[in-house]
Amino acid sequence: MDFFIALVSDPVGFWNSHTLLISQIGINGMLATSMFLVLYSGQLSLAAPGFMAVGAYVSVLMELYWHTPFAVNIAAGTLLAALLGLLVGLPVLRLRGVFLAIATIGFVEALRLGVILNVPITGEGLGLKHTADPLGGVPIILVSLVAVVLVVWRLTKGRLGSAWAAIRQDEIAALSQGINVARYKMIAFVLSAFLAGYAGALEAHLSFIIAPLDEQYGVTRAVQILTFAVLGGSGFVLGPLAGALIVTLLPYIFLQAGPYINIFSGIFLIAVIVFRPQGIVGRGGLALVRPAWWPRARVRAPSTG
Amino acid sequence: MLLRLDDVQRHFGGVHAVDGVSLEVEQGSIQGLIGPNGAGKTTLVNVITGYVRFQGGRAWLESDELTGLPAYRIATLGVARTFQNIRLFKELTAVENVLIGMHTRLRDDTLAQLGTLPFFRRAQQRHVRDAYALLESVGLAHAVGQRKAATLPYGDQRRLEIARALALRPRLLILDEPAAGMNPSEKQGMRELIERLNADGLTILLIDHDMRLVMGVCKRVAVLNFGKKIADGTPEEVSTDPTVIKAYLGTGGEREVTSALGAGGVGEEQEVEQSATAGRSAKEPDQPILDIQDLTVSYGAIVAVRGVSFRVGAGEVVALIGANGAGKSTILNTLSGVIRAESGTAVFDGLDLTTAKASTIVRRGLVQVPEGREILARQTVLENLELATWARRDGVATRKKIDEVLKRFPILGERRDVSAGSLSGGEQQMLAIARGLLARPRLLLLDEPSLGLAPQMVDEVFRVIDEIHDEGTTILLVEQNALRALGIADRAYVIETGRILLSGSGDDLLHNPAVRRAYLGG
Amino acid sequence: MDQQILNAIFIGSIYALFAVGYTLVFGILDILNLAHSAVFMLGAAVTYTVVVKYGHSFWIACIVGLAASAVIGLVIEYVCLRPLRRRQAPPIAALISTIGLALVIVAAIEQGTSSSIFSWLWVDGANSVAFPAGTVADPIWHIGDLTLEASKVVIIPITIALMLVLGYVMRYTQVGRGLRAVAENPRAARLMGLDVDRMISLTLVISSALGGLAGIMFGLALGDISPYIGRDNVEVRGLAVIVLGGMGSIPGAVIGGYLLGMIEVLALVTLGSGASGGVAFAALFLVLVLRPQGLFGTRLRERL
Repeated sequence: MDFFIALVSDPVGFWNSHTLLISQIGINGMLATSMFLVLYSGQLSLAAPGFMAVGAYVSVLMELYWHTPFAVNIAAGTLLAALLGLLVGLPVLRLRGVFLAIATIGFVEALRLGVILNVPITGEGLGLKHTADPLGGVPIILVSLVAVVLVVWRLTKGRLGSAWAAIRQDEIAALSQGINVARYKMIAFVLSAFLAGYAGALEAHLSFIIAPLDEQYGVTRAVQILTFAVLGGSGFVLGPLAGALIVTLLPYIFLQAGPYINIFSGIFLIAVIVFRPQGIVGRGGLALVRPAWWPRARVRAPSTG
Repeated sequence: MLLRLDDVQRHFGGVHAVDGVSLEVEQGSIQGLIGPNGAGKTTLVNVITGYVRFQGGRAWLESDELTGLPAYRIATLGVARTFQNIRLFKELTAVENVLIGMHTRLRDDTLAQLGTLPFFRRAQQRHVRDAYALLESVGLAHAVGQRKAATLPYGDQRRLEIARALALRPRLLILDEPAAGMNPSEKQGMRELIERLNADGLTILLIDHDMRLVMGVCKRVAVLNFGKKIADGTPEEVSTDPTVIKAYLGTGGEREVTSALGAGGVGEEQEVEQSATAGRSAKEPDQPILDIQDLTVSYGAIVAVRGVSFRVGAGEVVALIGANGAGKSTILNTLSGVIRAESGTAVFDGLDLTTAKASTIVRRGLVQVPEGREILARQTVLENLELATWARRDGVATRKKIDEVLKRFPILGERRDVSAGSLSGGEQQMLAIARGLLARPRLLLLDEPSLGLAPQMVDEVFRVIDEIHDEGTTILLVEQNALRALGIADRAYVIETGRILLSGSGDDLLHNPAVRRAYLGG
Repeated sequence: MDQQILNAIFIGSIYALFAVGYTLVFGILDILNLAHSAVFMLGAAVTYTVVVKYGHSFWIACIVGLAASAVIGLVIEYVCLRPLRRRQAPPIAALISTIGLALVIVAAIEQGTSSSIFSWLWVDGANSVAFPAGTVADPIWHIGDLTLEASKVVIIPITIALMLVLGYVMRYTQVGRGLRAVAENPRAARLMGLDVDRMISLTLVISSALGGLAGIMFGLALGDISPYIGRDNVEVRGLAVIVLGGMGSIPGAVIGGYLLGMIEVLALVTLGSGASGGVAFAALFLVLVLRPQGLFGTRLRERL
């Protein structure tokens, strides 16, 4: 509770003492938006951590070896992530549902365990140390987040967005309306890779070290990002953002739970999926799904036969 | 010629779904395409529109060759279609559905969206206005526009799908069963809509079961059966063609249907030879084994069964007949506990079917042989049969019973160790019925047992049904081959759009001109 | 090299045992049960606790561990899957709800210290522990250059025997036919009088018991029991295995398990310890792209 009281009573102090947390919310918000893009176009892709790793490693390596300016490093990392998105998307986007999810997990782990851990330049298991200013990035991150969310929101409102919505709802019917399904899926996938790469590059500069950890660039991270989107609701661009905010803040929300925080987080996750399947931000106001064991309101008229 | 098909071929496994069909659709015409269930009509549409690959033959839209193009390209060339089972973008509003239909005509506004320039705002507003105009042109009120597609009533969903197709500004519109499941006044509305669209210059390929609709609205009609075109001509020519009558209405077994349907399909009543079922009572039994009162069943916004009441007495054969989508299968599935009723009661031998578990219902002796047979294709014939004894708990007797069944259906005995998926359609139907018998039914529900079967096989299936009945099993039969069903039934109910339209003894209904009109459209 | 092949067979057995449970649930429900790796870990952890904290023999502990795993199987069905199935939620929903349960299970063990409310379940927190020496007799044989530890070797026949039993049950018994029927066509199964919900519960019990058993054997043979053994060793590898063998296929999962064991050991020998980790996932990726029905599968179910 103290956490939220501080937020209201002393916003400036709060800002200064929680810069890292705010930055992390911003990064996670962008990742959630990246996940939103693929889900919005009907693709269950878990590839984001792979693209994050590309963005992070490319930007840090450029900084270490070429001493190029920060903006150039970030841009290069982001663009390479998008390019890799195109290359990975070509073969995998034929797959649907969990098959796509598993293939992208394969990509993520092959990149992390197969490439990063074995190419000497990446520092292998030890990771890379660099000398970024971890706190200087907050304004950049927050501005980026706002820009990203605005752009994606506008995209969902236009011709592109309606094509994505159509594909998500019914691929067969979308084809019958002349929509080139493969192409629009690819656009969403590459944009999502672009965003993940950008978020990854920025995140790399929040700390002095990047390392190929599971929580960072592995399946655990992928699952976390998916959780943002599903928990928040993937029908509207603000849903995943809300999900990212809530999940990142869970340790503070369940502060009282102390060491049992993950238990409450897990129960919370199950409860949302079971009682609020459309996510926290979704249609239907505050309605919850009635569980099977909850007594049904008897509205049936008595039988007249 | 707008659309030209030349010797189009498509097989699935060994089944010739479309077997060398050639067809020409004239510019500005309404071309009908009819045929019994499983004749290959929808497959043909799927081939033309690029959803299923050609395995032979070619197709042109004017000078553009369609052969081998992906579905979205064919749509862009100007072939719009609707789907038999309605494929709207369910979570989007009606207007959004139509706007997506305009996809190919809209210019790419991605950059403009980012800037949200007023100029593009205006363009967008124009599109929305166009979309509302399209909704109006198919007879949907302005207020419908903002509603989610999934919440619209059935008839409106059909119309919305047409509006969405029109948004493509197509050269050819293919309607796949646009009137399925509609009541007569809705059908009349659909007919008027089709005629109006045609009058505005749109060429239409109309596929439907309802002969009356097709015969009434089309200048030319082609008939498919078992993947082959068996007739092509004016409605008069087609409806007097004996092969068509036989294929479409089903054979009456020993009764040969020799007399023709009248011109336009609306003919004087037919004299069909009396069969041996005369004199059976048309009265509902006082002590029914199955008692249904006021049963109503919906799928979301679509009410499939509206307040149906009927009874089945022990030892009877009762038939439910009616057009596709009338709600017959829904009734059976509600009785089996697979679908839950919205209101009303259904009691089988003291068991409330609206709340009982599906497994309990089967154990009590109410067993369904489902439409499309639903055999377990990956298991062997014998495994299918062994599993069918799940509901009975009588150990050794089970083994004997399986042997009996194998003897009774010798074809299954011969093929007991092959996977059920490799059986022919007729053999699969036999397996499905055999499976039903092994569950020890007291009331056997048969859903479309003759669907898609060759005539000899249909005879065989009905002979078996007769036999089962003679052994004392009560039968509730749903059948689109109305002549056969009425021939075998003690009593029958004609269902239309979820309601009972007529009832009576099998013979009475067989000779009732209203039945012909309601069901056969003839 | 021979020793390495032996290791491949040994680790392959664990993969196979774990993956069979995974694939059983996918085959019947088309759902990835991501709590399966938590069950793997829980089986090992409970067995360890019963031996060390409560002082029972290993065999009793095994039974308790298996029972606990099976119970979690029921929890998965009743809490995470059935409510979603009732309203026909997309498979992604079950993905998240099982992740939630996995989070709870792992956190409970992770927080199990002597002062916590989970002290009855686990007291070693996030540490990795091993069964005390002598928990079971573990003789070591030497044949030529080969070193055979009984605790590892015994896994191989147990796995093969269990798979044969499972194969027999699925192929020749009424329950097995019923399970296959539910997998192929739940509607038809229901119309034939099968209680589909009960068959699914049974599936989850079998699946979770197998997962727990794999965990117990892993903990015994490798001397590594911690809250993270599921996540680190089998969670994603299990996916690789069932994809290699064809999703939903039981023999496929067994062959896939041994194949992955072989691939990893081969990669270890030829590429060194660093690269071996990525090889499994590269294989997973390639198989899905080139042959989504799996190496041995013949058909991929149509899904739109």
